[in-house]
Amino acid sequence: MTKIACFVERYNFSDPREEAALQNFRCAAEKLGNEFQFLFRENIADIPKYNSVFIRATTDPLFTAYIVSKTAWELGLKVVDDPESITICANKIHQYALFEKFDVPHIPTVFLNKDELHHREISRIFREFGKPVVIKAPYTSFSRYVEKAACETSFREVAKRFFKKSDVLAVQKFTPTEFDWRVGVLGNEVLYVCKYMIPRGKWKHGAKLRGKPTVIWGRTVALKKEDAPRGLKDVALKACSVVGKGLYGVDIKEVNGDYVVVEVNDNPSIYAGYEDSRDKDIYTKIIRYLSE
Amino acid sequence: MVVSNIDLTTEKIEVIKPSKFLGTAIKDFTLNLSDDYRYLKTGYYVSLHAEVLGSKVIPSCENIIDSSRTPILLLRAAKAGIPTLPFLVTDSVKKIIAEIGFPVAIFAVNPFIHNGYKTAANKSALYRAMKSLGMNYKFAVCAQPLKGEMVSVKSIFGKSEGDRVTKEISEQVFEVFKIPVCKLHIQKVEDKTYLCGMQPLGRKEISLNDLKTISRGIALISERGEPFSD
Repeated sequence: MTKIACFVERYNFSDPREEAALQNFRCAAEKLGNEFQFLFRENIADIPKYNSVFIRATTDPLFTAYIVSKTAWELGLKVVDDPESITICANKIHQYALFEKFDVPHIPTVFLNKDELHHREISRIFREFGKPVVIKAPYTSFSRYVEKAACETSFREVAKRFFKKSDVLAVQKFTPTEFDWRVGVLGNEVLYVCKYMIPRGKWKHGAKLRGKPTVIWGRTVALKKEDAPRGLKDVALKACSVVGKGLYGVDIKEVNGDYVVVEVNDNPSIYAGYEDSRDKDIYTKIIRYLSE
Repeated sequence: MVVSNIDLTTEKIEVIKPSKFLGTAIKDFTLNLSDDYRYLKTGYYVSLHAEVLGSKVIPSCENIIDSSRTPILLLRAAKAGIPTLPFLVTDSVKKIIAEIGFPVAIFAVNPFIHNGYKTAANKSALYRAMKSLGMNYKFAVCAQPLKGEMVSVKSIFGKSEGDRVTKEISEQVFEVFKIPVCKLHIQKVEDKTYLCGMQPLGRKEISLNDLKTISRGIALISERGEPFSD
């Protein structure tokens, strides 16, 4: 019997679809004869009591989730997401530099340092990528801190805002598509495949309504992983191979028949009735991985 | 190769500015000197760039992150045999009172506060410390028992001012984390010294004497070649 701790924060229970998914994990674990407990931040000291840790709270080297991951790792526990995956996935500069190094097909990207925010460099980027471009803060998650800029004024405004937290940003070619592929990968194997549809009139899966704080999300259309294009799955696995062997959600765009990686996310969203709707075994597979 | 955002006193060693280094693809042993190794800041990106190029670099990205997250700093330090006190990561005042009691030293564990610590000798002081370092109780903190006197010392290539035990702990911490320039928070309890935290050493805190120590450290490394095996 494996004792699995699932590190969560209160917000993980605010969406009923996510809460249902967490309960599915618990059921899968218990069915397989394991113990599954939710671990909150006030009980981090209990980590040594478990055999493995499954992190569902948002990860970042600056968040509590990293403390949990690294503590479990240092104590020799099996951990998803492991600290190295968090470090690479939470910093898109790190990730794109690895994609570049290992020839992973990805959206054309340049890095911009704080002291390069001047007219000449901005003009060069517009010449290279055309207008608009996408400016991405390295710590982006859930479609946040990714914004479009079509002129130097808006470029400067967005970049200055993002530079408050990070001294390097990623700037990418604007590549609009009807949907992004999302390929779930666990231990170098495809776990599920779905399409994250882009809401009408928007350019990313989660988009704010003009002038309102509300975020609208596009539909999630799952398909059986066996029915997904081979090329798509190959690109997803190649992208994950430069990150690690854990659980990832790879966002991929299909451009003129080619697959290009948008990003690899650790701690991918798993909502009941969405990512799991065609491949129901994802809960069991993740629990098995944690209890191996 | 030495990459530094600190103006050094030596002319014998070629020093590259971080902005220039980030635009190069030179693969070489890299010594990254910075007065700010915080995650997402230029000091971090210099080490990241060197690592992606496949170079050996001091400090490594892993050590930069881990040394700035107090619970991980203490966990890894303890594993390496550096004296530390028991600690508790929590956002619960009650838990700190029950498990550690008073007086207590509180360190921030959140993305926004990188400097300093607070001490509390009673419940209301603890609430104030938690409110401040936990950012209105939104984040957890790292609590450690306060058994003696808290002291902060500059550590440059593991060298620090102070008594024998302070010097020892500074060297040990450098051996593990290899942060060239930093400030250590230590606790002195009778004849024992415990590591409690680490933070960046701000530019204003670096004296002329420190610059000389840094230059001597670099000269030593240049003489020996790659001095540290990770």
